[in-house]
Amino acid sequence: MSTNPVQQQMIQEAMKAVAERKPGRSKLVYDKTKRTIVAVAAGADTPRALNITADDADMFAVVTLSSEWLRKQWPQVEKDGKIAVRFSSWDDGDAFTQTDLGPQPSAAIVQGVILSLREEAGASSGPALTVTLAVSEPSPNDLAVFIAPNGISYRAVAVQGGQRAQVAFADVQPELATRRSGILETTILRDKSVLCLGVGTGGAHAAIELAKCGVGHFVLVDRDRLSVGNVVRHPGGISQVGRFKVHVLRDLIHDKNPDAKVETYPIDLNHDSQEKLKELIDEADVVICGTDNRPSRLLINRLCVEANVVAVYGGVFRRAYGGQVQCVHPRKSPCFECFVAAMPDEASDVEVSSASDAADIAYSDRPVAVEPGLSLDVLPIANMVAKLALMALVADKQTSLSILKKDYEAPWYLWLNRPEPGTQYASLPPLNTLDDEMTINRWYGIDFDRDTACPVCGDFISTIAANYGLDPASLGTLPSAPEKG
Amino acid sequence: MVQVMWTAEQRQRLALEHQILQREDFTQFSVYHKPSDDSYYASGYATSNAGYRYGLWISIPPGFPQERPLMYVTDPHPLLMRDGTPISSLGVSHKMHTMAPSTNGMVQICHWRDNRWHSGIVLQRVFLKGLIWIEAYEQHIATGRDLADFVRSMAETA
Repeated sequence: MSTNPVQQQMIQEAMKAVAERKPGRSKLVYDKTKRTIVAVAAGADTPRALNITADDADMFAVVTLSSEWLRKQWPQVEKDGKIAVRFSSWDDGDAFTQTDLGPQPSAAIVQGVILSLREEAGASSGPALTVTLAVSEPSPNDLAVFIAPNGISYRAVAVQGGQRAQVAFADVQPELATRRSGILETTILRDKSVLCLGVGTGGAHAAIELAKCGVGHFVLVDRDRLSVGNVVRHPGGISQVGRFKVHVLRDLIHDKNPDAKVETYPIDLNHDSQEKLKELIDEADVVICGTDNRPSRLLINRLCVEANVVAVYGGVFRRAYGGQVQCVHPRKSPCFECFVAAMPDEASDVEVSSASDAADIAYSDRPVAVEPGLSLDVLPIANMVAKLALMALVADKQTSLSILKKDYEAPWYLWLNRPEPGTQYASLPPLNTLDDEMTINRWYGIDFDRDTACPVCGDFISTIAANYGLDPASLGTLPSAPEKG
Repeated sequence: MVQVMWTAEQRQRLALEHQILQREDFTQFSVYHKPSDDSYYASGYATSNAGYRYGLWISIPPGFPQERPLMYVTDPHPLLMRDGTPISSLGVSHKMHTMAPSTNGMVQICHWRDNRWHSGIVLQRVFLKGLIWIEAYEQHIATGRDLADFVRSMAETA
């Protein structure tokens, strides 16, 4: 240790500058000749020394607090001089994150307290983590400074286990909104509601993307629980296994958009629940259909057309060799039944991603193998679903996305991950050719017309009656069932 | 049994289904309404090419036409395989093209699988599948070969 008082003073100044991540009059370097750290003047030329950066010196734990929460609690802090707070401890105490910031705490919770300066003296034997607030000069770029509702700035210092820790206040919503503001106005999606019917891999991923965009209200419906096998694809992780997928997704959404309102319904999507579904669809701005079975899709399609709510249907083909997305604007574009009638093979080509999917289509003497695709092959489809839903949500607003309106008008979008043997896409040219032919890894918007005889959005009765030479106005009554003796 | 609240569109559709059966000379089949519990079904007796009679019964589910109707063989009951065992004992069977039998053991014919069904399919087509299944069943009885050997997979599109 140097006994040179000037050097000691410079070391002190340099370390303070490093801790505050500000340039100072002195800086720290590693002197390769002396093989020790020394302080030198900030502008000094030191060819035989290694500069030490703030990151090199970052040995303090980081304590993150919610500004919004503290503003709400401020009356109590003023009254009592302190307030209890809980922290998630991460990475062996490298980071402490206030549990109120998000929905998913760590396994290790640390009790803490925030003290106004007048209470600091009594804090030494208190909770494990103490944050002390002292009046300071306003410093807008200093993350350790908190501006109280009374307009006074306070600088926070934290001590954990006798060691100093660095404090950062996080103002979640404004910070998230700032990151989106280049593309979307910050409040444009706050009041929009998305109903997610089926929250497996695709549905969950699409919902999370919309949460990142700032959608403020989600309604999640799915009866399934997260299984170990789901984890390789679903955004939920192994530590969530056994929970309902709707609850896992609720937490993931809150982790991205803490102010989002999320309702969950772990119920079946079938005719028994159609009254509830009808109610939920009526309240939605957009419906995302992430189910992978025909009966639920037919039901959802009918209910959405009847309620005049835009619905986006995403699905992947077997082993996710590709996928497709339909966006249905009721009675303006073809509905899901129109699609089934127009393209029956494509409509029936579905991935078998779970044992229950397989059981639904297997015979007892002819089992169907579970052949899920890779997550990375499902995600392009989920992204497209999210994008089409986003376009529908902002359709009545002028945004920088408006220039995409015509790109997203097709009723059906097709994506191929690979030239699957045995399909019409088996001999696609490789991506590295310049031919203007169909290839993998591109979206194709495909147009087709509504079915005038569609049982859901067309006039099935009149059209079919005419086809059979019947008068729809005089179909008569049905014979009564013979009474059983 | 929960009372079904049929919509006007469903009732009109069922009336149309009945008229199509009559118009297309499927007059051995009818759609029936049971006023006592306001339920619907379709049924009738099919006659095979060899002259045997089979009772076919289609339940109309509350979600019809989006929900797939189920078709059962009500007569003969039990319906036996060539070796004398009831077909219903096979459950969901590819080789006999059957779905889960009814609780009282009536054979359910696999007409359209759920993942192929759509609401544009009319009951006349469903009964037609039933007639084809009956012909294949009689071939099974005559030869002992699986019923599936005589019918293309009924997964074809409507």
